[in-house]
Amino acid sequence: MAELRAEGLVHVYRDGGVRALDGVDLAIAPGQRVALIGQNGSGKTTLVRHLNGLLRPTEGRVTVDATDAASLTVAQLASRVGLVFQDPDRQIFAGSVRAEVEFGPRNLGRSGSALGSAVADALAATGLVGEEETNPYDLGQSRRKLLAIASVLAMRTPVVVLDEPTTGQDARGVERVRAVVEGVAAEGRTVLAISHDMRFVAETFERIVVMRAGRIVGDGTPETVFGADAWEALRSTYLEPPLAAVLGDRFGMGSTPTDTSLIEALLA
Amino acid sequence: MTISLAGVGYRYAGATAPALLDVDLELRDGEVLGLVGASEAGKTTLCLVVSGLAPRTVGGQIRGAIRLDGEDVDAWPMHRISERVGIGFQNPATQLSQVTGSVFEEVAFGPMNLALPRDEVAERTWSALESLRIDTLAERDPVRLSGGQQQLVALAGLLAMRPEHLVLDEPTAQLDPAGTRLVADAIERLAADGASILVAEQKTDLLAAICSRVVVLDGGRVAQLGPAAEVLGDRRLRDLGVAEPSAVRLQRAAEAAGVHDARLSEALAGG
Amino acid sequence: MAEGDRLTESPSGQRGVPDFVGRPGPSAYHRLNPLTKATLATATAIAAVALGGLVGPIVLVTAAVIGPALAAGVLGRLVRTALLLSLPIAVSAFLVNLFFFPGASQVLLRIGPITATAEGLGFAAEILVRILAISGAVTLFYLTTRPADMTVDLERRGISPRVAFVTNASVQTVPAMVERAGQITAAQRARGLDTEGSLWRRIRGVLPIVGPVILGSIAEVEERTMALEARGFTRPGRRTLLWAPPDTGAERLIRWAVLLGLVALIAARIGGWLG
Repeated sequence: MAELRAEGLVHVYRDGGVRALDGVDLAIAPGQRVALIGQNGSGKTTLVRHLNGLLRPTEGRVTVDATDAASLTVAQLASRVGLVFQDPDRQIFAGSVRAEVEFGPRNLGRSGSALGSAVADALAATGLVGEEETNPYDLGQSRRKLLAIASVLAMRTPVVVLDEPTTGQDARGVERVRAVVEGVAAEGRTVLAISHDMRFVAETFERIVVMRAGRIVGDGTPETVFGADAWEALRSTYLEPPLAAVLGDRFGMGSTPTDTSLIEALLA
Repeated sequence: MTISLAGVGYRYAGATAPALLDVDLELRDGEVLGLVGASEAGKTTLCLVVSGLAPRTVGGQIRGAIRLDGEDVDAWPMHRISERVGIGFQNPATQLSQVTGSVFEEVAFGPMNLALPRDEVAERTWSALESLRIDTLAERDPVRLSGGQQQLVALAGLLAMRPEHLVLDEPTAQLDPAGTRLVADAIERLAADGASILVAEQKTDLLAAICSRVVVLDGGRVAQLGPAAEVLGDRRLRDLGVAEPSAVRLQRAAEAAGVHDARLSEALAGG
Repeated sequence: MAEGDRLTESPSGQRGVPDFVGRPGPSAYHRLNPLTKATLATATAIAAVALGGLVGPIVLVTAAVIGPALAAGVLGRLVRTALLLSLPIAVSAFLVNLFFFPGASQVLLRIGPITATAEGLGFAAEILVRILAISGAVTLFYLTTRPADMTVDLERRGISPRVAFVTNASVQTVPAMVERAGQITAAQRARGLDTEGSLWRRIRGVLPIVGPVILGSIAEVEERTMALEARGFTRPGRRTLLWAPPDTGAERLIRWAVLLGLVALIAARIGGWLG
């Protein structure tokens, strides 16, 4: 199992001198379902790229499973932290779905039946069973995103990071992503997702981290983060709480970030 | 001024099955028509067909008739249609020409291509920038703007052509909530000014707020077409691969749980 | 369209093209028409070769490269860039001639089996100055001329707007592809692609990067094309230009004078009057 930690993390991009992370302290316990929200430019992508070594800290430290990430190469970290990028077309290169999904686990040294079952499970989780020999570019944009997710799931990393998995997805796609998150979490693995969909976030994750200008400005359960006390902080980063939270507050029901919690409060 | 599609079908070059079949549709002056459907249902294809890019630039075969104010546009070249129908896409960056050093020149690109007199080019550019409230960005380098700002620049570039109709294919898909709001507000203002807009989106909350009618595509065919509240409130929406607006979803969940709360009904009906 | 003018207030009181469009360069040299600057650069490069001896080219470099660069305020960058551009070839040409000049007798220096000769030094110096003149002239043009200004000027002179666009846009292609390649590399490394291991591993890692770069670039071209077409790009004929770099009678005269001077120089050289 891998615990993730960022301690005093600062990152300044060399070209342009942008201080994308301005002192981030974060600890994620194994098996947590965490959502990372904030407007573009708040540092979310910069932060997650430190978790698998694609970016190295300017100051501060990142540890994965009590090991300093700085002492591990990206290839080594890839066996612990799997990162799915936002744009599947910046990743897909194989001629078939199967070959694409096999790429990750092969790099990690898997072969034979272990490889086969990892691939099969990943395809099942993303609804791509039956498309093994299909050319990825014959799948629609939405399913290609799921393919990108499958290719990281097959690596069976203890931590899975998803960068905007629901962007551009239709209703079924979003449901599929939700199922993936819950499936991974059910196996005791950690899931971290960046998302702009507040309702998806409130309903799928147990912990929400809010970022603004390179810092964490909110960290807690959906009840805490979408509760009325936090709205000012939320709005300062141009985010709005979900409808259920707004109505719950209006009716004096306390913090009800999801439809279910609002309804339960009304029934009580 | 109306765009009408009658029995329109379209097949991409080299495809076995048609992407659109038997589409009858009218985009009327001064209305915002929402377009929803599952991924691959044909939303983008419909946008390309209405704007004339399909088949002219994209290739493929088209059937049926598309008319602009009663005139069949089948023989019109692309540049002639582009003066009447503008189209915007979801990726902000690929819509920039990348050869202009300022937002002003970027927005002026279209009118310049129309060989209009220079002061008219300038006037149209300023109007477009002002109507989207980005005149303060006029001197900025388009490449350095945020995604939301780039989308507005792209939209301004279309408006400067003074098209009668606007087709927008998921304009907020790649934007964060702030960018989404910028673009949504802009579309609302344009609509209020009487523009005629076809906007495809997954975000039904957004469409519920700004559309008068909504069309649902399923497998390349029109599955539903009617007033926005009716179509977006229809129970079959989810089966067609479309997520209902938040208010509708909440309403249904409440009913299913046996909650009959006047405050809730009132709040959701108020929208 | 009147040459180089820009309406800031048209008679009807409408707003016009703003000042920052086609902002004139910071120095008089910058503000010369691109064709003039191109003519000067080409003539300098050719003259450097046509002029004999050492003194001529040195004077040329001073007058046609260093002088204008100083006046334009780009001397520092010019020296850095021109040196960078020409260093490998300049150094090797210099050394080859210094040590291996055929038929030389005046020895200056002996290092083991090879000798530096005075004749060699003389010839090497001549080669060096010419190389610096050519790279200096090209760099001066590059540093004082914006690509957009050049294409607009050409367009004003009659090339098709579509050709002008392609010229401008192709400058962007390489940086865009490099950026895309960087992002794709990151995504593949996140899936365990080893870019820090043995050479063989790194070679194997090329396909997962090159594939998406090419496919993605092609897909992007398609999207860009559609966006351009939707903005009337394929409308035949000319388009309105908001601004073009001014060209004056005096500059036209200068260009002709320079060209004639160059022809005279070449004729003199061939005719043996310059030795």
